[in-house]
Amino acid sequence: MPLRLTRRGFASLLATTPFLAPARAEESWAEIEARAKGQTVYFNAWAGSPQVNAYIAWAADEVNTRHGITLEHVKLTDTAEAVRRVRDEVKAGGEGSADLIWINGQNFHVMKEEQLLFGPFTEELPNFALVDIDGKPTTIVDFAEGTEGLESPWGIAQLTFFADGAKLDTPPMSMMELLDLARDEPGRITYPAPPDFHGTTFVKQALAETIEDRAMLPLSIDKAAFTEAAKPLFEFLDQLHPYLWREGKQFPQSQAQVTQMLADSELLVGLTFNPNEPANLVASSTLPATTIAWQNRGGTIGNTHFVAIPINAKSKAAAEVVANFLLSPEAQARKADLKIWGDPTVLDMGKLTPAQRGLFSRAREPGSVKEPARTIPEPHGSWVPLIEAAWLERYGA
Amino acid sequence: MNRLGAVPLALLWALPLLLSLALLVPTALDGAAWALALAHPQLWPALALSLATGGLSTLIALAISLLLLGGLPRSRVWHRLQGVAAAGLAIPHLAFAIGFAFLIMPSGLIARLLIGGDAPPQWVSVQDPWGVALTLALALKEVPFLLTAGFAVLSRGDAAVRIKAEAQAAASLGHAPGSAFLRIVLPPLLRELRWPLVIVFVYGATVVDMALVLGPTQPPTLAVVIWHALNNAEAGVNAMGLAMTLLLTAALALILAGVALILRLGRQAMHRLLTAGPSPLQTPRLLAALAGLVTVLTVSFALFILVLLSLAPRWPYPALLPPAVDLSAWASVPPATLWLSLLLSLAAAAVAVASAVLWFETHGARHDRWAIALALAALALPQLASAGGQYKLLLPLGLTGTLFGLFLAHLTPVAAYVLIVLAGPYRAFDRRYVAAARALAASKLSAWRRVKLPLLKAPLLTATAIGFAVSIAQFVPAQLIAAGRFSTLPMEAVTLASGGNRPLTAAFALALAVPPLLAFLAAALLGRPRWR
Repeated sequence: MPLRLTRRGFASLLATTPFLAPARAEESWAEIEARAKGQTVYFNAWAGSPQVNAYIAWAADEVNTRHGITLEHVKLTDTAEAVRRVRDEVKAGGEGSADLIWINGQNFHVMKEEQLLFGPFTEELPNFALVDIDGKPTTIVDFAEGTEGLESPWGIAQLTFFADGAKLDTPPMSMMELLDLARDEPGRITYPAPPDFHGTTFVKQALAETIEDRAMLPLSIDKAAFTEAAKPLFEFLDQLHPYLWREGKQFPQSQAQVTQMLADSELLVGLTFNPNEPANLVASSTLPATTIAWQNRGGTIGNTHFVAIPINAKSKAAAEVVANFLLSPEAQARKADLKIWGDPTVLDMGKLTPAQRGLFSRAREPGSVKEPARTIPEPHGSWVPLIEAAWLERYGA
Repeated sequence: MNRLGAVPLALLWALPLLLSLALLVPTALDGAAWALALAHPQLWPALALSLATGGLSTLIALAISLLLLGGLPRSRVWHRLQGVAAAGLAIPHLAFAIGFAFLIMPSGLIARLLIGGDAPPQWVSVQDPWGVALTLALALKEVPFLLTAGFAVLSRGDAAVRIKAEAQAAASLGHAPGSAFLRIVLPPLLRELRWPLVIVFVYGATVVDMALVLGPTQPPTLAVVIWHALNNAEAGVNAMGLAMTLLLTAALALILAGVALILRLGRQAMHRLLTAGPSPLQTPRLLAALAGLVTVLTVSFALFILVLLSLAPRWPYPALLPPAVDLSAWASVPPATLWLSLLLSLAAAAVAVASAVLWFETHGARHDRWAIALALAALALPQLASAGGQYKLLLPLGLTGTLFGLFLAHLTPVAAYVLIVLAGPYRAFDRRYVAAARALAASKLSAWRRVKLPLLKAPLLTATAIGFAVSIAQFVPAQLIAAGRFSTLPMEAVTLASGGNRPLTAAFALALAVPPLLAFLAAALLGRPRWR
């Protein structure tokens, strides 16, 4: 890993020579841009959404005209595919097939731990200065794990619920209210079975709302302490499950299935990690215009998704230029547009020029969240396997 | 010349496959992985569910297929059925599952027709805890496969002539048609269907995509548990998945060995039954017609529903037709991807059939058991595992992300299917025809070309069509080996399906169904014997 060492060395050199640093950094970015010209970036990104795919296709056109970079979208069903591929390719030696990966959470932890990532590189990106690190702390803390410049923030996610307002006039704004709703409408509420990502998040949300000391969540935990801390959680789930779809004995496989069952009127409440997805689904006429979306009163679990560059990437310079482009106000504004994708921006509006701010439309579309709630950061990564194992043991068979 | 006949099959298929499987061994001996697997709370119930859905669906599919083959006279209906079977065979499993689900689910067409109201009934019709929906869908989906294989056996030139003669002889001895079928047609038919049956069983017990749509979740089938584990980013969880894979494979092998043993022990009793005097047993025409009707209706309904689903962005309950239709889902099927899939699949099917024929011609039937054992191993292991081994093999060779690597990835399952489907009919060929031609001074090649090839036309074409269909549906190995450099139709389809967009999934599923449908229809039309 000679490259990694020289970069780290270079960074520490910059730190000790503060006067030279800005000039060097700028110069180095120009160099990076020059080197990036003509390179091809294989962007490994989940491709389950036509909206996301269309957005990436637009980004590919833009970086081609602006920077002479060819951006190829490698369509994934699951980001773990890319993690495994990089791991195997690094083992085999030589250049890898992935240049940029759309990533967060466990996949990032694994890659960071196994030293499969290039960087730190985010400080080099000019547009990284525009990121709202103070207002959106999850842009540098990924599931309670510091990003350490190894991944560049791309968009914001926060657990959001949605329903057809014509069938549900008062949405449940907390887990307890959801339990009341389930009692009134047995069989019409459910959530995807963990370890599905959204299912685990639902359980985390219930954990955050039931745990006695929420300050424990960002800290590492062992099994004994977890069993104690999660007692109220499983008491709550034991109460809830008999009123769920199929009496809580069967669960849907995925969030997509829950959404489909909501669209088919089998369920009353759907859930998503993209606060704007309900509005987007209304725009693409998958859901009716009477759709409403909300976040629980006390806040909901939220996180950031990122792009990272594998250690064995062939076109690292171009990958950095693409990551920087994805952070540009123009790209972020287009991504946040409900008609395009609706993924909330990671940028700080206060750091933008008025013209740049104007790019972000503030129109209220049917299906958008009326009163955004605060973000509850993801619990420390050590909670996740314990939650999933305990859930599986209790409700899995 | 003789020994060299095995070279293409060995070099392109057997050797890479063996090496890929060998590369899985170290992971399979990982003690920590086994400990994790055995401690998994869903392991045993999930295994039981996998074996039950796979086994029952195979038995039901076999019963329906035999009913249709034996119950319906070899009439016009019989030939029409070939076309329907081809259509059923061409629909990808996932597509059929989606169509079938939309028929029976609480907000599905049947509920809309019979119940209506504001909210769908709370039926336990899909994802039922016992796996009934999955079993039924698997059974219905496999009927076309068994039927096609059965048609191929019965309409093969030499067999058709022999069966006709023997059936006439049986009739003159006083056997009713049912009795003649049971005693004359069924035994050789079952013998030649044994490998297709094994495929159906193994497929049913290891299928992932259909189980995700129709199967239970708490616990799911073991294949689904494995699929989640192998998809995980943690290497330790992947290893657990692999250990479970081996366990599932061992369980399948054990069951198959048990069935083989029972059949062997029961041979005496079977012999007595088959040689018993003439009986007035009639063919169950009514039942056969009913079974045929149900199969045909389900298959055509699933297709029809898919067409509607692909056109409807929204189809709320209890509307019987979508409120609005558009073509946006269809517009996203990229032509370049379609061409790549078509050409790759044609190449894979052609090379597989040619290599298999070379093997059969240059090696005696006694060598087949090794080739077929290897083919079964290739099909029995869940693809995520076997494709993982293949990937480990091709990566250091620099073949990942190349067109040739992608071709090899397609060839592996295709050649396995072709070998298994072709072995029965090819080996059962009555060699006296060729001997007669040789006696009439035809060269070896011309005897093969002018006598054997025309007589084996139907099974060869069917095998090519099956190979083509298998190839065009390849996802897991293709995705791994392509390393993002190439995109085939199922890659687009499966990635889009992961987002749960039903119109897009339906459109791609249909796009995946049309090319094999044409291939099967072509095989059925071209493969008809010229006499009769």
